[in-house]
Amino acid sequence: MSVLTKQASGAAAALAAPARGTPKRGPSRRTNQRSGYLFLLPWFLGMLFTIIPFFASLYLAFTDYNLFTEPNFVGLANFQAMFEDPRLLQSLKVTFIYTFVSVPISLGIALLVALVLNRGLSGLSIYRSVYYLPSLLGGSVAIVMLWRYIFGNDGIVNGFLGWFGIQGPAWVTDPEFALSTLLVLNVWTFGSPMVIFLAGLRQVPTMYYEAASIDGASKWRQFRAITLPLISPIIFFNLIMQLIGSFQTFTQGYVMSGGTGGPADSTLFYNLYLYQKGFTEFEMGYASAMAWLLLMIIAIFTAINFIASKFWVFYDN
Amino acid sequence: MKKTANTRIPRRVILGAAITAAGLALSGCGGASTPSAGGNVELNFVYWGDSNRAKMTDAAIKIFEEKNPGITVKSEYQDSGPYADKLATRFAGGNPPDVLNMANRTLLEYAQRGTLADLKTLPEIDLAKIPGTIQSRGEVDGKLYGLATGVNLIGMVVNKTITDQAGVTIPDDKTWSWEDYAKFATEVSQKTGGKIYGAGYDVATETGPILFARQRGEDFYTKDNKLGVSEETIREWFQYSVDLRQAGGYPPAGFFEQIGGSPAQSYLAKGTVASQIIPINNFKGYNEASGGNLVLLRMPGETTEKRRGYSADPSMLWSVAAKSKHPKEAAKLLNFLINDVDGAAQTLTQRGVPINPDVTEAILSKLGPDDTKFVEMVADIQKDDLPPAYVYPKGASVVADTLKQLGTEVEFGRITPADAAKTFLEKSNAAINK
Repeated sequence: MSVLTKQASGAAAALAAPARGTPKRGPSRRTNQRSGYLFLLPWFLGMLFTIIPFFASLYLAFTDYNLFTEPNFVGLANFQAMFEDPRLLQSLKVTFIYTFVSVPISLGIALLVALVLNRGLSGLSIYRSVYYLPSLLGGSVAIVMLWRYIFGNDGIVNGFLGWFGIQGPAWVTDPEFALSTLLVLNVWTFGSPMVIFLAGLRQVPTMYYEAASIDGASKWRQFRAITLPLISPIIFFNLIMQLIGSFQTFTQGYVMSGGTGGPADSTLFYNLYLYQKGFTEFEMGYASAMAWLLLMIIAIFTAINFIASKFWVFYDN
Repeated sequence: MKKTANTRIPRRVILGAAITAAGLALSGCGGASTPSAGGNVELNFVYWGDSNRAKMTDAAIKIFEEKNPGITVKSEYQDSGPYADKLATRFAGGNPPDVLNMANRTLLEYAQRGTLADLKTLPEIDLAKIPGTIQSRGEVDGKLYGLATGVNLIGMVVNKTITDQAGVTIPDDKTWSWEDYAKFATEVSQKTGGKIYGAGYDVATETGPILFARQRGEDFYTKDNKLGVSEETIREWFQYSVDLRQAGGYPPAGFFEQIGGSPAQSYLAKGTVASQIIPINNFKGYNEASGGNLVLLRMPGETTEKRRGYSADPSMLWSVAAKSKHPKEAAKLLNFLINDVDGAAQTLTQRGVPINPDVTEAILSKLGPDDTKFVEMVADIQKDDLPPAYVYPKGASVVADTLKQLGTEVEFGRITPADAAKTFLEKSNAAINK
């Protein structure tokens, strides 16, 4: 078994650990708890570095802080200004399109590949690693640069299209296409949800399938009636995590456009605009307010998902 | 049945993970080291540029340290984009560098917030030889917040190998008009069968329209730090590129991808365009990268429009942080950068022609042919009576970004030059008057 899957299934197991129903009782419980907290210690320490800026940004969101001079309290002015900011709307548009197009597609591909890999091919661990690799690299600067070359005017993609006599568009510089290039990049990094899916698929007891085959259920029927319901909590988990990650996209847009969000603001992700406001326009108060708006947006979408999950996520207990 | 319990990830765990993931967005990370001084003063010196510039700068710093025992200089360099961001956070964190590179675009932004030292109050800086026109470009409200690292201009470079092969004559740059340039560029494209485009200049960098506006009798940025350029001028500037593209002299939309920004990666070096506008301190780099047969020309329209477009432009500025713990030593370093002949012998014209004429004189013999051409052209142009230029206003970064954005919209025909000009003025004025 490869290291990668060990980690992933380990992660899935850790997530499942605090499940109700199998509480451990006995003398070892205390010791367990203590070592548990010990393992959490680094996280608590790291949390300090998160908590302080967290509350600082909440305060700054209500000020006119400009990085250099003392912040003045301005009430809700920053939030009001957002309603009249066309670039903010543009950045929301870009981020929503990116999220709602790439997340379903990449989850679909992740599940599909996980299903194929779960059938027990030889050399499985190699395939798993190969498909997982882009997830490790996708957010890195080097890969985004590589992407620019692949989709560049003299890149592989347009070269390939050229064989068929098709003149490909300017994928990177044309405002109509720049975002779609990044969408493809994001879909390509389907590896991490795939590994989690794979871990989930392995947990589905084979006896269900055996029973279903005896009853004459087709593969498709088995998938719909057994696999999907049983892994629905995993789908739910992946959906939530991908949505949140996608709303916070920054690196791809920053590197692809050299920090501008261009061409013509077509890759102006919300977080990229936030960064521009804070660090190139020195409007840190406004940028902080934007961060809180993003938190609210993410919270709303997560809440919607949790409510909707009652109708499709199946907890087999 | 026991096994299935493992598949489930409880709701509250997912919720917890969600909150953690979302919360991380709200907190940035920061932190910088504090310089320690034990008898020895350590200065922090930051600038933007490439490794070549850093090599020359390091050599000069070594000389400074030899001449000033007891001062060590810890220098850092970066690309201009990330440099600007990091500088802002360092000032915000109360840990600014002592001596730093400042861009024209952000001088006022920093100066008006009291973050920069008034260089006139530092006696270590000798201003006796620095021309008033140069000093004025770093002056805000009568205080001197920045000194030019050198004088620089933009110019047109043409690849003569291409024009010779195509049989196109390069017009006389002392008298050529914008129309002449368009005709020339279109002819190159035609005679090379469309393989090479005659013109390949960057429409959306502000230095072009700044010069263009001056030629038309307008100050892009005015004396009282406002936007002075008219809608008509911006419309004309965009329209010119649209017409040139239509005529075939300028590449189609999407052609320029700007991967990297070094001369070696330029389209001029690739041989797909025959001419480009460059900051002419880079002439040497472009010439070496493009086969060594580039001709350095003045911008078109210098004698055919209302007035001259050139002025005494600093390429960038040197400043000292107001909060520097060692203002005396910092001032010494800044003085060294602008007045020291031995230091300049290492950095040459890397950051423009030195602003102290004596220094320029002294290093002239050390320059190669390309750098000599650059210095001569600057000297030549400065002989004439040029219109003044002023400090960029607050919000100039937004103006530059807006220009880039609208440039792309026009390039792809998403808006007309007239609409672009209107939007440009609205957005720029809003940013400047904020």
